[in-house]
Amino acid sequence: MSQETKTNSGSNEPKSRVKKTGGVPSTGHSWDGIEELTNQLPRWWVWAFYLTAIFTVVYWLFYPAWPIGSTFTKGVPGLNSITYTATQVDGTQVEKTTHWNMRSKFMVEMNELHAAQKQWFDKVAATPFDEIAQDAELMQFVTSAGKTLFSDNCAPCHQAGGQGVIGFSPNLTDDHWQYGSSYAQIQDVIVHGRQGYMPPFKEIISDEEITQAANYVLSLSGEPHDAASAELGAKVFQSDTASCYACHGTDAKGKEGLGSANLTDKIWLWANIPEIENADEKLKAVKNIIAGGLNRGVMPAWEDRLKPDQIKLLTVYVHQGLGGGK
Amino acid sequence: MAATGTAAAVNVNEQYNYDIVRKFTIMTLVWGAIGMFVGVYIASELAWPWLNFDNPYITFGRLRPVHTGAVIFGFGGSALFATSYYVVQRTSQARLFSDGLANFTFWGWQAAIVFAALGNVLGHSQGREYAEMEWPIDLLILFVWVAYLTVFVGTLMKRKQPHIYVANWFYLAFILATALLHVFNNLAVPIDLFSMKSYSLFSGVQDAMTQWWYGHNAVGFFLTAAFLGMMYYFVPKQAGRPVYSYRLSVIHFWAIIFLYMWAGSHHLHWTAIPDWTSTLAATFSIMLLLPSWGGMINGILTLSGAWDKLRTDPIMRFLIVALSFYGMSTFEGPMMSLKDVNALSHYTDWTVGHVHSGALGWVAMVSFGSLYHLVPRLWNTPMHSIKLINVHFWLATIGILLYITAMWISGIMQGLMWRAFDDFGNLQYSFVESVAAAHPFYIMRAVGGAFFLSGMLLMCYNVFKTIRKGSVGVEAVGIEGEGKLSPNAA
Repeated sequence: MSQETKTNSGSNEPKSRVKKTGGVPSTGHSWDGIEELTNQLPRWWVWAFYLTAIFTVVYWLFYPAWPIGSTFTKGVPGLNSITYTATQVDGTQVEKTTHWNMRSKFMVEMNELHAAQKQWFDKVAATPFDEIAQDAELMQFVTSAGKTLFSDNCAPCHQAGGQGVIGFSPNLTDDHWQYGSSYAQIQDVIVHGRQGYMPPFKEIISDEEITQAANYVLSLSGEPHDAASAELGAKVFQSDTASCYACHGTDAKGKEGLGSANLTDKIWLWANIPEIENADEKLKAVKNIIAGGLNRGVMPAWEDRLKPDQIKLLTVYVHQGLGGGK
Repeated sequence: MAATGTAAAVNVNEQYNYDIVRKFTIMTLVWGAIGMFVGVYIASELAWPWLNFDNPYITFGRLRPVHTGAVIFGFGGSALFATSYYVVQRTSQARLFSDGLANFTFWGWQAAIVFAALGNVLGHSQGREYAEMEWPIDLLILFVWVAYLTVFVGTLMKRKQPHIYVANWFYLAFILATALLHVFNNLAVPIDLFSMKSYSLFSGVQDAMTQWWYGHNAVGFFLTAAFLGMMYYFVPKQAGRPVYSYRLSVIHFWAIIFLYMWAGSHHLHWTAIPDWTSTLAATFSIMLLLPSWGGMINGILTLSGAWDKLRTDPIMRFLIVALSFYGMSTFEGPMMSLKDVNALSHYTDWTVGHVHSGALGWVAMVSFGSLYHLVPRLWNTPMHSIKLINVHFWLATIGILLYITAMWISGIMQGLMWRAFDDFGNLQYSFVESVAAAHPFYIMRAVGGAFFLSGMLLMCYNVFKTIRKGSVGVEAVGIEGEGKLSPNAA
């Protein structure tokens, strides 16, 4: 017989089996010193197992459970059936009663919530923008529904509080509105989306002229700049070669119809100039934008993603709730 | 010993192959340390996202399968290879069937884990949870597994005992079921013989159900049945007591084997699977509760009459606390598989907590206990420090408690926040608010993980010191033929 020469574990075999096992004999087999006793199954364990089996059968009565051919058992009729209202393709509503199923349960719950929301959404749809803001109770609903709609749809770009990210998405809480701040203008932005665009100028004007234009832009909002260069930059800005004025306006305050930036305020959309400390770096950042242009400002159209009443509600939420509308 | 026959065809020089057990034991510790470190790191990334360092290769999505692969297959798998090779030899009183094949399982298995981890970091993934490895690695695993089955069954056939010990039933069930699961869940068509990329043979709901049939039974057979095999040897061995009930071991073994296979679809509650599938999965999960507890009862009652060992023996404490966590998570699991409970728990951290109460509490703790029993016998010397085993026990226990408490709170909170509506019928919270609310608990979880990891590292140190001492001892006590009979020994 083979033997492991190392037996430092000592013998674990019970010397006096009866004493150690409370009188229960073992099966008589021993493996590496291990024996097994002939204890019966604990009664509570057996009964608890039967209980889970009974629970199981009862569960089967309540829910679809066993496949039979191409169909399945549906549970006892009436025990756990679901009644809900469904809208058919032609728009008519019918009441349906079915055996328990996930889809119908979902329909019931969504119907309940939609019913709770509907009166309020209807009121939003029927009330002119100005009056919604005057109705305190309705505004409570707008704030409640708007917060979730905004958080789940808009916040990924505009951030949870609507403060935006410079270089990525506009701040919705400040006083600057690229495409206008009226209800109608905000709604139009949400419905159709926007794509900001500024052409690159590196092929159109010389590097020197870009430097001058950049100095001029910095001068408009009181940032450090080379005054002499900025003076020349003003000419570049108004020239027909660069024609910056065509989009940003001769006063450089931007045009709402185009969404072009107001260059005279202290709000920066693409380059975080106030955060840059070094004057040369500021100049470089503005030059980069003039030379390379911008083709990043894409906001998707929401008309196919949200319902019209949701868009209207969001319009009020952005205008009133975030506090930036005028 | 109930030995059969007189030394008829027995080679007097035959010895157990401990070399392969030692190799897998060491890799258990190595993978445990690596896998748990990665786990703590990704838990920390969730709490402090700057830890991504803007490096895509170390983000959560890539490192998460590295973590699960290293702890389940590296740590857990190596522990199972080590203990099963040890247990099958000692309870069969026979040397392993083939040293060469056993060594192939070692190197093949280690290579598979390394390749899987590299693949995951580099972006090669089947996108199947716990089966992320792409097809070439799957093939390697298949060969390893066939070798494993051959070695294990070959050894059983050589046994000099009339009966097969219960631990070996569990190990064998684990090997067979894992083969079945691995093959069917990885049926995929490579897009090119020289490409890692492949597409699953199944689509849609069938694909999802195949994956979770695999995923759940990986838990059932890899992380449960196999570790019950470990339990059935090391608990009576360490306690020096007979197993409580032979009958219970038979009944709960077959009940587990029969019932587990039905339950996988409970991972897909409230998805596009048919309602009846979901119901069957829930009810078979409920019926699994008591069979699972059968193993816990049999293990814990084995200690009856020797309860004082819990005060004096930290190894026993590891084993019994492991059984307690096993009992707790096999109660929690069936509850979570009920449709209405699952509606709250699904997709939340509760699931993560549940998995870890099983993985840390049961799988890791029973492995620690078993290895602490094993190491002195493999290296023929007492453990370097019993005190450090005790410290390890407490670090691990505190770590688990912090971890699962954090995940219970954040999971239930997430579930409640996601389903909360205000009086207008509007959702009360946005998703990101639930993320912010979970943040403190992510920190707590990372701290819990760090506790558990530090215990693991302490064990590595303790075992390292023991081995250093032991390798000298082997020469001194003159263990015959050590290294001689095992052709692959260093």
